[in-house]
Amino acid sequence: MSHKPKTPSRHRSRSEAKTPLTPSLTAGLNSLSLAIPTQVSPSKPRADASFNPFLSSRPGSPTRRATSRPASPIKRATSGAIQVSESLQRQASLGVIRKGGVESRLDVITRDYVPPPKSEKKRSKSQPTRDTRDRFITTRDTTDEVTATLDMMSLNPQSSSPGHTSRLAAAAGVPLNRRVLAYHEPPPASSSDPLLAQARELVRPLYARPGALATSTSTTTSKGRKIATQPERVLDAPGMVDDYYLNLVAWSSLNTLAVALAESTYLWRADTGEVTQMGEAPEGTYVASVDFSNDGQFLGVGLGMGAVELWDIETQTKLRTMGGHSTQVACLSWHQHLLTSGCGDGSIWHHDVRVARHKVGELVGHQGEVCGLKWRSDGELLASGGNDNVVNVWDGRVGDVTPGSRSAARWTKRNHVAAVKAIAWCPWQPALLASGGGTSDATVHIWNTTTGARLHSLTTPSQVTSIQWSPHKKEFLTTHGYPTNSLMIHAYPSMERVVEIRDAHDSRVLWSALGPGGDLVCTGAGDENLKFWRVWEMPKPKKGKDAKEGSRMGTGSTSSGILSIR
Amino acid sequence: MAPTKQAPTRQAITLKGSTNLVTEFFKFAANTILFQRGVYPADDFHMVKKYGQTVLVTQDLALENYLDKILKQVNKWLLTGSVTQLVLAIISKDSRTTLERWVFDINLVEQPADSSEPPHRAPAKPEAEIQAEIRNILKQIVSTVTFLPVIDEPTVFNILAYTSDSADIPADEWVDTDPLAIEASKSQQVKLRSFSTDVHRIEAMVAYRYEG
Repeated sequence: MSHKPKTPSRHRSRSEAKTPLTPSLTAGLNSLSLAIPTQVSPSKPRADASFNPFLSSRPGSPTRRATSRPASPIKRATSGAIQVSESLQRQASLGVIRKGGVESRLDVITRDYVPPPKSEKKRSKSQPTRDTRDRFITTRDTTDEVTATLDMMSLNPQSSSPGHTSRLAAAAGVPLNRRVLAYHEPPPASSSDPLLAQARELVRPLYARPGALATSTSTTTSKGRKIATQPERVLDAPGMVDDYYLNLVAWSSLNTLAVALAESTYLWRADTGEVTQMGEAPEGTYVASVDFSNDGQFLGVGLGMGAVELWDIETQTKLRTMGGHSTQVACLSWHQHLLTSGCGDGSIWHHDVRVARHKVGELVGHQGEVCGLKWRSDGELLASGGNDNVVNVWDGRVGDVTPGSRSAARWTKRNHVAAVKAIAWCPWQPALLASGGGTSDATVHIWNTTTGARLHSLTTPSQVTSIQWSPHKKEFLTTHGYPTNSLMIHAYPSMERVVEIRDAHDSRVLWSALGPGGDLVCTGAGDENLKFWRVWEMPKPKKGKDAKEGSRMGTGSTSSGILSIR
Repeated sequence: MAPTKQAPTRQAITLKGSTNLVTEFFKFAANTILFQRGVYPADDFHMVKKYGQTVLVTQDLALENYLDKILKQVNKWLLTGSVTQLVLAIISKDSRTTLERWVFDINLVEQPADSSEPPHRAPAKPEAEIQAEIRNILKQIVSTVTFLPVIDEPTVFNILAYTSDSADIPADEWVDTDPLAIEASKSQQVKLRSFSTDVHRIEAMVAYRYEG
């Protein structure tokens, strides 16, 4: 404000009068006068400046201009022209008012930096010869029409109402001969409901069915072995509970198969085909797990109430009931006189079946239900898998553990991302342990239990419900749930798929048990069927000792002739 | 240059053939954009072999029909040469602001009036070359995700057709509308490749909201 008296507007108006030097600049100033009328009328700015706070900076600028006036009057004029032409330039670039006198000249000035059209043409001509297909180079050589139309679209940035924009566009005469049309109905709404999408993601493994396999009754593997893809025998198992967490099938070394159907336990003697109902669970509960002792003389039965029963196979009588667990005992594993039970609350108990105070140890390491439990055949290690996606391996030495004392797992693995039900020790390489995860994991991990290292991982198409190692071959079998309901045999250590039997059951295959001969596998599923598959062949006895041993066991091969009785 | 180079058996592409080619391109371009920009969930799309590459095409019946209806009309307009621009606008579902505008300019290639084939006329473009050009545009659309701002809100789309005033418009199906423009100060534009048949020349461009 203090500058104001020093810089009378007359100075400014005089300087304005002096600047016009070339006709084009006059033209520019003519337009300038249209856009900024305050600079034209000499009296108005003075009155404005004194009252309008927004114009307070203005009196200063003429002083600066006055000093710099001799230096670059043209520059100032051009800058003025650019300032003015902003709106006009836009129109000009549209090519709408190109023929107008003032605008066209302004166009010339503002487009000074644009390369001459000749070179431009050259570029566009040379463009096709160069092969730039694989590169992302935006083409700028063509007419700027597209850009111009976009500019036209955004004529008025401030306008919020579409009507205004269109009116403005119409007023400016920009969309020459054009109508902007849209289809009268909106596009269909996308079904991307975040909740639904999440749910879909969860059930995806159930629907992600891999490509179809060749349909044939047997598959010839790469090794020239023929594996029947049809079961050798099917047994009806009415009332079999379709529950992933239970373990309802066991096959003893005396060639007896124990199956739990709801509250009853049945024995099926593979040698004779004779079926006997061994016993029933107490009123109000059900059988959650069965397992044979190593010698095949006794059967452990885990109940839904938490009790563990001991049955004699020979006499088919219950020897004792060992209580203590609070919820269902869904898995059992024997080692000699030790019956180990996994409970729904995540605890694992050792029961010494010989003594009155049967509980000789408790292993606490799972947060969720124990789904898989297996002793290594030598009894040194015990592996367990839980609903908390954890695999634990425990030291098998129970020692003189007082009831209530707890031991810690030798090592814990958290690689699985779903419940671990499938657990199997390798019979021919004691350090190997295979574990398989549930639906969202569907992965088999092979561990070296000595070092705790993960040796192999195998991703399968669906949940792994059980694993069986072949005793004679470097292979293992996995059973699967939805959607393939398949049996798969994998080679070890290549992890190659030897064979896949798709749709082995109508429902998810939940349990499997390996026959004492190591050639037959029995699978149980929610479709209330037990199926027997001859997946591995018996090795031919080479030495006399082996043959003798086989005959002594009397079970050598579970022959089909025996099986056909029923 | 060398009219002899042109295979005598091959006929120059007709207006109708070119129109179908362009319409088909719009179908795949629109599908690609809708997939790439996540307007519809990815599992609604399945892969289809087209133009020598795999293109993702929607299998949502409602959307398929919707695009078909639009493209059928576009096809008619193309035949009469009355559509000059097609715009696929991606709009925020909640705020209704335009986030992206995919602009396809349709230019009619000047045809000499007489059929006496003047020497300056370019020989008919081989179909393979056209397809290669289309493929390049589609590839470019895919590659634009590298620089386009990430959209993390639900969006809808709209297809605008810029037609001449004289165009024959089905009265109750197409309505005059707002151009769904992005404010100039907040918009960035990237010109994409173009392709041309002997009749049409399609130029693609994407403008997107960028406030930075």
